[in-house]
Amino acid sequence: MNADLFIPRSLDEALSVVQTHGAGLLVMGGGTMMMAHLNEGIFFPKKVMSLARAGLSGVYRNGHTQIGATTNLTEVSQIADYPILSEAAYQIGGPAIRNMGTIGGNLYMPQPAGDLAVPLLAYDAHVELASASGSRTVSLEDFLAEPRSHRGVHELLVAVHLPDPTGYAAYLKLGRREANTPSVVAVGVRVVMDKQGQISDARLALGAVGPFAFRAKNAEALLIGQSLNAKSIADAAQIAMEESNPFTDALATAWYRRHMVGVFVKRTLEQLTK
Amino acid sequence: MESITVTFKLNGKTTAVAIEPLESLRTVLREHLHLHATKAGCGQGGCGSCTVLVNDEPVLSCLMLAALADGQEVTTLEGIGTPPHMHPLQTAFFDRFAAQCGYCSPGMIMAAKALLDKNPHPTRAEIAEALAGNLCRCTGYVAILDAIEDVVTQMQEA
Ligand SMILES: Cc1cc2nc3c(=O)[nH]c(=O)nc-3n(C[C@H](O)[C@H](O)[C@H](O)COP(=O)(O)OP(=O)(O)OC[C@H]3O[C@@H](n4cnc5c(N)ncnc54)[C@H](O)[C@@H]3O)c2cc1C
Ligand code: FES
Ligand code: FES
Repeated sequence: MNADLFIPRSLDEALSVVQTHGAGLLVMGGGTMMMAHLNEGIFFPKKVMSLARAGLSGVYRNGHTQIGATTNLTEVSQIADYPILSEAAYQIGGPAIRNMGTIGGNLYMPQPAGDLAVPLLAYDAHVELASASGSRTVSLEDFLAEPRSHRGVHELLVAVHLPDPTGYAAYLKLGRREANTPSVVAVGVRVVMDKQGQISDARLALGAVGPFAFRAKNAEALLIGQSLNAKSIADAAQIAMEESNPFTDALATAWYRRHMVGVFVKRTLEQLTK
Repeated sequence: MESITVTFKLNGKTTAVAIEPLESLRTVLREHLHLHATKAGCGQGGCGSCTVLVNDEPVLSCLMLAALADGQEVTTLEGIGTPPHMHPLQTAFFDRFAAQCGYCSPGMIMAAKALLDKNPHPTRAEIAEALAGNLCRCTGYVAILDAIEDVVTQMQEA
């Protein structure tokens, strides 16, 4: 297979490859999905760029937390300040996949993969994207809703930005087996309580039950101003089920996915009452 | 583009090899360097039979561009033991009948080695987690976990 492989040594170098070759370029973070596609013969790209040596990996804290795009899932699973992010990372694949897969690549994965979007939505993450003509920072929510394709690149994901975490969070992923399995559904919740024990802010993120991971905003709105009790939890679970737009695939039917949204939203919120 | 040359430390020996740019490390190990312990299973990251160590960390060689091995240290099963001088994990797999067809064994052993190098006294649950990415379709996992636990016990006694 004849092809050009670019392994840039800096972001600037990577961006100039994008500028010159973007139209026919295939980008790899850790390559865990892209190499699988090449092995399968799904793509025969003529130009490939690996970001593995572009200096985009690492976790930095200055006022907020910044996670470089090629930070691998093992490193993400060790970030202590954002417990449901590290938990979600640890539940992906096995050790070798976590050593290779990156947070940036994860956010481009089609559902049902892309688990990290769920905790990251719960933590109000933003993503920083760069092109040769400048950079932009958008909420993860808006980023996930943007259309995308694997071929033709005009910008790169550079980093994920997280505000300091507040409140309490919980995450649950359902798979068909114990480990190394895609999500049937993934639920991430974070609630902030005021002194009276009433919810002042809520995030309820769902994965693998729509075209991309999303926030169940009606369920979030319902929780505001309430305490976490059997009724508010049951109501939020019901509304989150209605807000889901699940699909049927080899792992689960749409019906089962929607049903499990209800069960898992209930369980995650119940964890927060403990 | 023509072939490119990558140079890396393979089982302790500096090795230079001419590759096609998009070849996986697995293809280079098996087809260029004729080291066949690393198995070609799914090519999708799903089975773990191609597990090797890069800088002592387990990776799936089917999903790694061989070009990225340049300047790194790669260890395959051939590098940890030979028939007359088997690695304790190899001996334990033999003694415990932890291999039927043996196709998964190289990956299992490399994943287990990566664990034991970092954590010499893992629990059975920690061993299972370290092998989460490795499938065995015939022996079953009990004998494999038993074999690795034997090595943990031997190391505790030594
Ligand atoms: C056995 C196995 C189990 C898995 N289990 C899970 C799981 O449970 N949950 C899950 O979420 N995923 C899972 N995955 C999928 C995948 O490994 C992970 O999602 C991983 O994080 C993807 O990251 P990557 O860097 O390897 O992606 P790559 O293959 O490198 O890239 C994926 C996509 O992202 C684009 N991309 C990557 N980085 C950038 C960047 N910086 N800027 C712009 N575009 C970029 C690529 O062009 C490509 O379109 C699994 C994969 C395997 C093989
Ligand atoms: S051959 Fe690499 S994981 Fe199956
Ligand atoms: S011994 Fe046959 S797959 Fe494990």
